[in-house]
Amino acid sequence: MTIPRWVIVLTLVLASTTPALSQEPVAAGRIKVASGSAFIVRESKMIPAQVGHVVFVADGLRTGADGRIGVTLKDDTRVSLGPGSEVRLDRFVYAPQDGRLGLVLKIVRGVAAYVSGQIAKLSPDAVRLETPAAIVGVRGTSLAIRVEP
Amino acid sequence: MTDGPRIAILLATLVAMLAAACGPRRIAGPSRPGDGPSRPGDEMIVLLRDSEGGTIGRARVSNPSGSTDLAAARDATQVAENEPPGPANTLSEADVQRIFGGALSALPPVPRRFTLNFRFESNELTDESRALLPVILNAVKERSVPDVVVIGHTDTTGTPEANFALGLKRAMTVRNLLVEAGLDASAIEVTSHGERDPRIYTADGTPEPRNRRVEIAVR
Repeated sequence: MTIPRWVIVLTLVLASTTPALSQEPVAAGRIKVASGSAFIVRESKMIPAQVGHVVFVADGLRTGADGRIGVTLKDDTRVSLGPGSEVRLDRFVYAPQDGRLGLVLKIVRGVAAYVSGQIAKLSPDAVRLETPAAIVGVRGTSLAIRVEP
Repeated sequence: MTDGPRIAILLATLVAMLAAACGPRRIAGPSRPGDGPSRPGDEMIVLLRDSEGGTIGRARVSNPSGSTDLAAARDATQVAENEPPGPANTLSEADVQRIFGGALSALPPVPRRFTLNFRFESNELTDESRALLPVILNAVKERSVPDVVVIGHTDTTGTPEANFALGLKRAMTVRNLLVEAGLDASAIEVTSHGERDPRIYTADGTPEPRNRRVEIAVR
């Protein structure tokens, strides 16, 4: 599919002139489990993660040597991190009434668990788990991933 | 979450570390999965049985060099950069806990979904659906930070706009029942999908009782 040049130009102009619009954070889920040293990484800031905190699209989650984090997203997807781990929520779109669905989760390092939710059920191809060396496509499932630092 | 599993994992880790430090050096012989000399960037991906329902999904691990399918419980593949994912082999339950336990123990509780149906052309719940209310309340009370989302749905009779409003009205009815039953109103999000997210797909203008419903997500 080719995108007309004027669309690209218009998008770039809008993106550069309306930062408030382009950076509107989209809530994706909430932290349900947090212990030890656990952080949300948001726009390169480290925010101590607490149970109840909202997780936004583009947020990272990071744990120290004694940390753990568990998150439930709005489509019932669950993601958790063990110690010394980092994941990033690169994409989360859950609007089944408009047929818009998408989830891209990057496991940067450490150990993480993923349990699929409604997005994987409604549109399995819309879910992608990425690691530094591979891409994982899922058909309604639970997975665990380890990436050596 | 009790401390039991956490202590068990801690103990298992300590024992493993002691064994590694004091035990005889292994020169050759079969190593346990994930025990090999791990290089930076080495990865392992394991398919697990779903905690609820016990079903097993599938996963395909791929990179530019190749791909491996995981289809049975505890099927695992090891991946390194610029190499095809390794063949699937099955881990033991103990290996899964040893390698991935730190993350698995941090999974939040299983989300629950409930569907409530209405009597024909009415805002009254059916008897079966009314009986579900205490079950829903229990699911909410089990959680430390519950998210409750109430979503109204309609069939395709009437205009999309009218159905959005009707869906919202049904959702509000259920929300009010939950608040009356003792739920904190601020924890409940109410929304409508109108006729656009049917349970049963129909042509426009089709009466379908199964689509006249309210869904409740408890996370």
